[in-house]
Amino acid sequence: MADLAHETMADHEHPEHESTGVDNRKLGMWAFLSSEFLFFGALISNYLLYSNRSGFAGPYPSGIYDIPFTSVSSFVLLMSSLTMVLAHNALSRGDQGGTRTWLFATAALGAVFLGGQVFEFTEFIVEFDMKLTTNPAASAFYMLTGFHGAHVAIGVIMLLSLWGISRRPGGLSEKHGMNLELVGLYWHFVDIIWIVIFTVVYLLSVPS
Amino acid sequence: MTATAERPSTTIFRRPASTSGFWSWLTTVDHKRIGVMYGYAAFTFFLIGGIEALLLRIQLAQANSEFLTAGAYNALFTMHGTTMIFLFVMPASAAFMNYLLPLLIGARDVAFPRLNALSWWIFFFGAIFLYSTFFFGTSLAPAGVDGIGGIDGNLAPGGGPGSFNFLATSPDAGWFAYQPNAGPLYSPGTAMDYWALGLQIIGLASLVSAINFIVTVLNMRAKGMRLLRMPVFAWMTTVTSFLLLFSLPIIAVALFMVAFDRQFGSLFFAATNGGDPILWQHLFWLFGHPEVYILILPAMGIVSEILPTFSRKPLFGYSAVVFAGAAIGFLGFGVWAHHMFASGITPVAQAAFGLATMTIAIPTGIKIFNWLGTLWMGRIRLTAPMLFAIGFVAMFTIGGLSGVTHAVVPSDWQQTDTYYIVAHFHYVIFGGAIFGLFGGLYYWFPKITGKVMSEKLGKLHFWLMLLGFNLTFGPMHWLGLQGMVRRTWKYAPEMGLEPWNIVVTIGGFVIALSVLVFMFNWFVSRRRGEASGLDPWDARTVEWMVPNPTPEYNYAVPPVVTSLDHFWHLKYGEDEDGRAVRRDDADEIVARIEHEQRNPVGTIHLPAPSYFPFFVALGLPIIFYGVIYHEALWGKAMILIGAILTLASLIGWGMEPLEEPHLEGHEPGSDVVEGAIDG
Amino acid sequence: MSSEEHIHHPTPAQYWKIAVVLAVLTAIEVGLFYVNQAYDLGFLNAAMLLILAALKFVIVVGFFMHLRFEKSTLSRFFTAGFILAFSLYAIVLTALGVVAIRGG
Repeated sequence: MADLAHETMADHEHPEHESTGVDNRKLGMWAFLSSEFLFFGALISNYLLYSNRSGFAGPYPSGIYDIPFTSVSSFVLLMSSLTMVLAHNALSRGDQGGTRTWLFATAALGAVFLGGQVFEFTEFIVEFDMKLTTNPAASAFYMLTGFHGAHVAIGVIMLLSLWGISRRPGGLSEKHGMNLELVGLYWHFVDIIWIVIFTVVYLLSVPS
Repeated sequence: MTATAERPSTTIFRRPASTSGFWSWLTTVDHKRIGVMYGYAAFTFFLIGGIEALLLRIQLAQANSEFLTAGAYNALFTMHGTTMIFLFVMPASAAFMNYLLPLLIGARDVAFPRLNALSWWIFFFGAIFLYSTFFFGTSLAPAGVDGIGGIDGNLAPGGGPGSFNFLATSPDAGWFAYQPNAGPLYSPGTAMDYWALGLQIIGLASLVSAINFIVTVLNMRAKGMRLLRMPVFAWMTTVTSFLLLFSLPIIAVALFMVAFDRQFGSLFFAATNGGDPILWQHLFWLFGHPEVYILILPAMGIVSEILPTFSRKPLFGYSAVVFAGAAIGFLGFGVWAHHMFASGITPVAQAAFGLATMTIAIPTGIKIFNWLGTLWMGRIRLTAPMLFAIGFVAMFTIGGLSGVTHAVVPSDWQQTDTYYIVAHFHYVIFGGAIFGLFGGLYYWFPKITGKVMSEKLGKLHFWLMLLGFNLTFGPMHWLGLQGMVRRTWKYAPEMGLEPWNIVVTIGGFVIALSVLVFMFNWFVSRRRGEASGLDPWDARTVEWMVPNPTPEYNYAVPPVVTSLDHFWHLKYGEDEDGRAVRRDDADEIVARIEHEQRNPVGTIHLPAPSYFPFFVALGLPIIFYGVIYHEALWGKAMILIGAILTLASLIGWGMEPLEEPHLEGHEPGSDVVEGAIDG
Repeated sequence: MSSEEHIHHPTPAQYWKIAVVLAVLTAIEVGLFYVNQAYDLGFLNAAMLLILAALKFVIVVGFFMHLRFEKSTLSRFFTAGFILAFSLYAIVLTALGVVAIRGG
């Protein structure tokens, strides 16, 4: 039975023989993110459908965009991807202090972006009287950017959780290293969706 | 030698003390137990959905019947469809996929055991949430409408606590909830919100499962289990999971949109304000069509396992069957608007989708011919599972043929919204998926219980069900072509439809009788069934290499796979004509395998049970109850409470120590528990 | 240590450079927007903005999400999801009249 014992032990040393060579959790996250294209695609298409239709009462989102403002908040979100990747890089080099700093920076930039969204929505509602209920184009706009914002908010919560763990003695362990990478992937995805939204929803729907 | 199954303790709560009892089921992450729970839940909803159908059939047995009001009828067909699709066939397939997938690929569990438990609990709470409409929901007439033209077409007002007019509490806008009929203007009240938000919760369960299964299949196969050596059911699980992965987000958006329209006044589908009802149809069917392949592919996988075993022949054209399954899945994304041929889409769109729909017949046909090829010249044993599998092939073919007639657009214009369509989809879902699922239950019953079901009762079940099924749905073909309209609560006597409708209703009750036979068989066999032994069917695939009932740890020694139908090739060689010849030492080999698998050496590490999936899932219905009643302060509070519960449980989950290898040396004093070997 | 080894890891300096590129691309996009407001560029405006957005998209995915250096399994998932979403919604938008096709 010697072979049996050997196999059993080898088996429990590498219980996850990952046939693709990719860690289970990473593979799972990429699968999830690829499904999110279908989610945001529906929301973006919905906006494209209604933003193009004439005849609605009330202001169209494309009529009241503040492009300079949105450009700045887009820049902020884009830079948060930089800080995210710097956090990951710091952890891979064992630099716990750097990891903490860049994690917090990412969460902070994300929070700034969210603050910008809140400000933008408030402007639209209060000053221009464009609410969710004003017309289908407005509904579509708020739905799309609202769900994107919700994704950002969840990301900020995850980042702050990681940051909180990183402040404990010992910092982030190897297990958390994978979690950071996973949160990073999610965060960059949320960023690339905004890259699409900024161009397609904001820049391209304002009539010239 | 006794096995020791070691489970690390969780730090937040004390580790569950035993592997039996109520709490062990609440905290289990064992894919087999999760599969069993899915199975019992699904079957319960099968019974409920069946009763809903019988009520419909009683109404339709007579022309101008007054048994049900129109509103009650609408409620019943809505809930029948919703229940059967989302609360029966999908979770029943999930039961099989959960129980079997790791066994079929030689693994001990899925890639993410806690996530697996989460899927189950999300489904459980979602189903309860949806059905709680019968207690809390309200379904009112549209504003300003009060018995138009003297016909009492709307539900009696009522519903809500204290009302016993249960059907006035039910969603009634069809399982497809076309807008704006199912929107705030024409379906006021909360019942359709229970529908939309309930499905939202349930959809999330399937999405999480899909990710789990995909990673499991890609990453956790045993040594030598190449993708093209996997049993067909494992392949069909994979394709189904991809379909779920990519189609669920679409319905999620659609359901959010309808929920926002109903709750917050958005205007996505409000036709009077510029919203587009056709958008709903596109989004719904973009999901809805892949959904029907999600319903059928697992059953096709089951049939592909049963037919070779009881023909004592390999599956004819294994690779073709696998690729055809993948092709069906892929093409299934391209045909959704064939549900919209009469909705005003352009001629170009109609032609394109008609053509695309016809192409799906090709891979489907490949499968059917390959199944026939498997049977051809086989040494056939007509056991109960085999009868259901052959029944699948026959009934599904009929359903597929009527499906091809719908692909011809002008023909579809005559068939749509008639009982011809009802006949088609019941032949493929019932005659197809459900027959396949029953076959699977008979086939894998020994795996789950260590016993075999009664063959006599199984055969009685089959023949009664086959008879009842064809009596019920066969006549619907010509009833439809004669002009019997769907989703309508009565028909006039001068249409001449009554005689066959009586036959149909009788058929429905014969089906019910056959289900009772099955239930009796299940319970009696569980108690007093004959012991199955390791290999009751002389089967081909690796899951039969573990003892029955399956030990908690699945494989004591994971198989090292050397070919397709690995187990078969251990037992059988071939003569010069290529026919299978049982090896002289086959019995010894099987006995040795059984001994090896019953007596693991050393410590087997299993994933730890966890409380957190249960509590994460529990937060979701609380949030959505709050959404429905968000105008009240307590509604807002419920949203907050549910969100906090889910969030806190997720954090607890994240902080729980991970499974075995990462725990080596980190858990001082972790207890070792004697695991049951054959439990 | 993660079981799969990354062949190449960009350095922090390289990440900063990539970020500068992204910022510049964004600036060009915004600039282009204003140019279009002043002198209607017609179809060119959409084309160039989409190209710029696509560039940013690919850069973030390839370098920040590290897809360029990962096993192809991951790119396949990602690409499959993207292409499927793009195709399905393009068809829906065509059917709903947002995107016009001749003879449709």
